[in-house]
Amino acid sequence: MSPDIFYVEDDPDFAFIMQYAVKEVKEDLTVGIVEDGNTAIAHLQRFAEEKHRPKLILLDLNLPGISGLDVLKRIKEIPFFKYVPVILFSTSDDPKDVKSSLEIGANAFMTKPNGYNNLIVCMQSLYDFWFNQNRSIN
Amino acid sequence: MNINNVDLTNCDREPIHIPGKIQSHGFMLVVNSESFLITYISENLSGFLSSHVKSLLGLPVAEFEKLEEFGSSNLQLAALLKLGGAQQSFETINPYPLQINGKHYYLIISLSGAEYILEFEPITMEYDIQNQIGKSVSAILSGKNVNALLENTAREVRDIIHYDRVMIYKFLEDGHGEVIAEVKNDDLESFYGLHYPASDIPKQARELYKLNFTRIIADVNSLSSPILTLNEEKPLDLTNSVLRAVSPIHIQYLKNMGVESSFSISLLSHGELWGLVACHNYSPKFIDYKAREAAKLIGKIVSSALEYREEEEESSQQNNYQEALHALTLGLNKDGDMLNTLTAQEYTLNDIISSTGVAVLFEGQISTKGIVPGEEQLRALFKWLKKTMDDTIYYTHSLPEVYHAAREYKAVGSGIVASIISRDMEEMIVWFKPEQITTINWAGDPNKPAVKGEDGLLNLSPRHSFETFAEMVENTSVKWRKAEIANVIKIREKIITAINKKAGEIRLLNERLKKAYEELDTFSYTISHDLRTPLTSIKSYTELVIATNKSLDEQGKKMLGRVVAGADKMAFLINEILKLARVGRAEVDFEPIDMGHLIEEISREVISSLNAAHVNVKLGELPTIMGAQPLITQVFTNLIGNAVKYSAASVNPEVMIEGKIAGDEVIYKVSDNGIGIEVDHHDKVYELFKRMDNVKEYEGTGVGLAIVKRIVEKHKARIWFESELKVGTVFYIAFKK
Repeated sequence: MSPDIFYVEDDPDFAFIMQYAVKEVKEDLTVGIVEDGNTAIAHLQRFAEEKHRPKLILLDLNLPGISGLDVLKRIKEIPFFKYVPVILFSTSDDPKDVKSSLEIGANAFMTKPNGYNNLIVCMQSLYDFWFNQNRSIN
Repeated sequence: MNINNVDLTNCDREPIHIPGKIQSHGFMLVVNSESFLITYISENLSGFLSSHVKSLLGLPVAEFEKLEEFGSSNLQLAALLKLGGAQQSFETINPYPLQINGKHYYLIISLSGAEYILEFEPITMEYDIQNQIGKSVSAILSGKNVNALLENTAREVRDIIHYDRVMIYKFLEDGHGEVIAEVKNDDLESFYGLHYPASDIPKQARELYKLNFTRIIADVNSLSSPILTLNEEKPLDLTNSVLRAVSPIHIQYLKNMGVESSFSISLLSHGELWGLVACHNYSPKFIDYKAREAAKLIGKIVSSALEYREEEEESSQQNNYQEALHALTLGLNKDGDMLNTLTAQEYTLNDIISSTGVAVLFEGQISTKGIVPGEEQLRALFKWLKKTMDDTIYYTHSLPEVYHAAREYKAVGSGIVASIISRDMEEMIVWFKPEQITTINWAGDPNKPAVKGEDGLLNLSPRHSFETFAEMVENTSVKWRKAEIANVIKIREKIITAINKKAGEIRLLNERLKKAYEELDTFSYTISHDLRTPLTSIKSYTELVIATNKSLDEQGKKMLGRVVAGADKMAFLINEILKLARVGRAEVDFEPIDMGHLIEEISREVISSLNAAHVNVKLGELPTIMGAQPLITQVFTNLIGNAVKYSAASVNPEVMIEGKIAGDEVIYKVSDNGIGIEVDHHDKVYELFKRMDNVKEYEGTGVGLAIVKRIVEKHKARIWFESELKVGTVFYIAFKK
């Protein structure tokens, strides 16, 4: 089974907080977290083989090993995930990072919100947009 | 040439070496060196000998010897002449004593081309002068310096020749002479310190002084005796003759002074005529050949002593200069203030040449040492020199003549040496020397050398009176010596080397600073970035605890709320620093920016984020500028943000933004009627983290204007402001079009 949200994040603190925030948005929403790019790609390939498709992929930009942008490229190469929204999720708000992410095919670029409360707000709006309003995609 | 045609205008051309006459206290016979036939005789020969003179011309010299006046003595003139001819000199033969009619005479032989000149003059001194010379020379050389040496010389010469007046006359740079030592009879008026114009001793006379070291004019009133010859075509050259007649001009000159006999000894230094021992007697007075030879010897000894003493004085002077030069060079090689090194240490620029003052223009500052003109006069002189000088070194000993403004300070700077260190930087050094002599005593007025009179010869007279005239020799200083100019060139090189070395060091420092600056930007960017993650964790966990921990009481929640607030404040600061660092790293791509659209958007955003809908934001003309939009956005967000923030509490708050084109610039203006900035803080507003006292109650970090300044600098634009407390502030930015 694949989680609703597949989240690549090397910072265990942020990953930990994220789990709480997601539960706050919707009790039965599932989130799967991996810590680096290579593990992420391995997981995604298995999902593709098993025909399990997450509803949303969140990618941290700065990752150990291969970067978020590289992972993004690999995802875009797998036809099975063609219509899965991929959102870059980073502390950076550098216009250069935003630009290259969107060019490679990210569906959105989000600056990591500051604090737990803001994260809940952020995840709520993500959920509303990508899970409810754009249900047709999934 | 007819000698009677000589007057003052051609006196420089008078052929004084072929006067065609001799003085009449002796007589002359000239013999051809090959034929030994008599070619010339002086007319007065008959006065000394009974023989009929004409009959001797063309005869062999042996016929002359046979004359009965010589008595039984065997002269053997031909043998003497052959001996001297073989030696090319008659020095060992002269003077040759002989008797004519029982009276004692000296024969003095000299060469004139292919002729032997035989001159006969009476012997007047009975004792041997040899002992006296030795005593005189040791007395002369006991002088410790040049002046004492010359004083002694005058006294000893007078003891030998017994003339009324003995003077030492020195030729100065421009050829005029000065009496620098004198011994005389008490009843005579002193000539000491008198100056004589250069024309008093014409050029060809000086050449003769260099060939004949002594010269006697035994009696100005005696008639000279013509020289007779069968060959009128060929005048006899009397350069080496002891009896050579005197120029009528000089005779008149002496007569005007009341002088009846004159004697001179040449003083030479380095082959040049340094001066004369000039002796005057007020009645006719012949000097015996041996006494003249003694005087000549003294002249030679004094000459070489002079040469040595002058060299010694000069070399000790030059040593002092070198020592100063060395000390300055050492100072220049050390770090430190250049002006201080050159003008305020033990040795200064004023010690490397004979200047009395020096002024240095360096980095716009004037520093001086010694006696120099006033600052304004100096600035004007520097300006004139910069315009006039083609080369890097310029020197003159008569500045007021070429630069009239210098007349005001001729007493301080009639002579200058100027050295340009850097033309572009307007850096130069000028050394000064005073006017040489403000007043000198001329012997007669040199401006009126020829007085017209009825008498032809009197017309030739340089002057009739020797009363002293005060004559201003204006606008000149003592000349600069070659060695001094060489020192100026040397110090200039040393200074330039030192400047270049310093410039190199500054360039290196600048590069290191630039690199450090870049590193600092990278550092602040990285650190801010890295700080954000843990800060977010702190805030997130705290909020998570507040949200999920049911056991927290109100007090606990409140305290954790302070942790969140602290984290927020810190996050805000970090963001600002990040922005600033990003400006430093950003490349500016100049593009036209639609300012109307941009300013409108920024204003709307600012009003909304500051909850300041009551502030009246007015927009005027907003012309397009060239810049990097993200950066320009930050500039105006900050400026308009400040304007709105600090005027929000005013009555009828109003913010106005407009731009207009002025020349090659577009000047933007952001004005408000807010709290204003204190004058004292005008230069501090752009400093990082600097916040004014009157804004303590407002939100802010003190980074905003620092960012604005950096962006403006990146755009090569200018920023400034006007402000008054409680009235308002206007910021201006002038962008390049």
